[in-house]
Amino acid sequence: MNTVKRYLRLYRVLVTQFLKTIMQSRVDFLIGLLGFFFTQVMGIAFLYLVFQQIPSLQGWTLDQLIFIYGFAQIPRGIDHLFTDNIWLVAYRLVINGDFDRYMLRPMNIFFQVIAEKLQPDALGELLIGTILVVRSLTKGIVIVDGLHIALFFVSIFAGALIYTSIKLFFASLAFWLKVSGPFLQIAYDMANFAKYPTEIYSKGIRFLITWVIPFAFVAYLPASFFMKADTSAGVVGIECGIAFVFWWIAYAVFHRGTQVYESAGN
Amino acid sequence: MRKRLRIYLPFAANELKRQLAYKGAFYLFILVNLFGSFISYYLWMAIYGSSEKAVIGGLTQKEMVVYVFMVYVTASIVTASISTMVSDDVVKGTVAMNLIKPIDYRLSLIAMASGNMAYRFLVPSVFIWIGLEIYKIKVLGLAPVTVMGIFLYLTSCIMSFLIYVLFDFCFGMLAFFTTYIFGMRMAKDALLSFLTGQLIPISFFPAAMQRVFDFLPFSSMVYTPVMIYLGKYTGETLAFMMLRQAAWVVLLYVAGSLIWRQVTKRLIVLGG
Repeated sequence: MNTVKRYLRLYRVLVTQFLKTIMQSRVDFLIGLLGFFFTQVMGIAFLYLVFQQIPSLQGWTLDQLIFIYGFAQIPRGIDHLFTDNIWLVAYRLVINGDFDRYMLRPMNIFFQVIAEKLQPDALGELLIGTILVVRSLTKGIVIVDGLHIALFFVSIFAGALIYTSIKLFFASLAFWLKVSGPFLQIAYDMANFAKYPTEIYSKGIRFLITWVIPFAFVAYLPASFFMKADTSAGVVGIECGIAFVFWWIAYAVFHRGTQVYESAGN
Repeated sequence: MRKRLRIYLPFAANELKRQLAYKGAFYLFILVNLFGSFISYYLWMAIYGSSEKAVIGGLTQKEMVVYVFMVYVTASIVTASISTMVSDDVVKGTVAMNLIKPIDYRLSLIAMASGNMAYRFLVPSVFIWIGLEIYKIKVLGLAPVTVMGIFLYLTSCIMSFLIYVLFDFCFGMLAFFTTYIFGMRMAKDALLSFLTGQLIPISFFPAAMQRVFDFLPFSSMVYTPVMIYLGKYTGETLAFMMLRQAAWVVLLYVAGSLIWRQVTKRLIVLGG
């Protein structure tokens, strides 16, 4: 219990320091937020223009696709907000030897990595995700009852954990490869496939994004559970299972990596 | 002219060499970009599958396949970003050095971008282009592109490249006002992918918006060369489209010079 308290206090201290640096440059903060916001707005505009030409896409209406799209942004945004520093492990910290500083302090290493930074850009994604989900609620295309509301939050956190695990796994490869940024980038961008119903893809791609890099379980599959009454709640169950297994693997690889880590320098 | 070439050609050559040195990362990024094209491809297949009309936005399903991948080829040739270099120079203050040297800063950037473009044309664009052309003839059963078509397309591409680079130079000037160019670039890339026709052909937009786009440089960056390649423009329209591209090159060149003159007046660099 004391450890938890200590870490919570440390997190508060570290994040406060970081927030101070953000307050120095409020314009930058707004620009970053708008950048990510815009990217997603364009995706919606694309769907909107396409649906001027067709009534539905393989049985999905525009409103339903917008819900899938918006729902996909929320776990992505949560992970982006809290664990953005993982990108630096992949691109810079290991090869520069800057990772040393985490090794020296008497704290959990993973905790230090993520506590060092909050990424306010992520609010752009969270904002658009929330707007689109609320819009879907007012349109009445989402099932609202106790079970679905509870599982909505479970699914979002499991989804964010899947994101974090995939990022951590590929970033940890940097301990062996020195730089693993491009691999991480590829894995991360796979998530773009899952913003749309996976039935539109060929079998190979569908298998890849469902079971290998399981972004379909972060976005499309749970989203359809919230819209279609005949979908089993098991989807969210599998999502949680995947989240735990992936987290366990990613953390093990990360832990092993910190043991083989060699600093740069002379 | 020859003197200029002698001065600025090394910038292009250096950039080409630099790109060749980091091949590994480069190939991975090609893969990432191709992902985007494949997502578009599958989406469009589903869209045409759900449509009652055979022609949407003026394109048939087969033409749309060509469109999606030619957009990839065109965009990877055209979008040689220089705003990152500008912002790096401004943030670090090295831009001051470029003011002292007896060279034109913008021309040196354009030369570097050309090196970049040459590299991207060789790998991977040309191979994807050839692959697409084979697929187009063998599988889709469309007529192969003519020599004239290739010539017009490449000419249009070069103008697109100049429009993009000159525009990006103006955009890079924003680094004088904010240091967070990463966020600006996210917003720019998002807007451009939409307005240049990368995400969706311009012909899908409502007529009123298309009218507005006629007065903006963006559709000349990617949409125009791809439509030329598809053979959608002929005769007078073709001539008009290419003239419009040329006009944008001149206009953005002048605009860039004006902004540069204004901005360097207020430049303060710390340190010696």
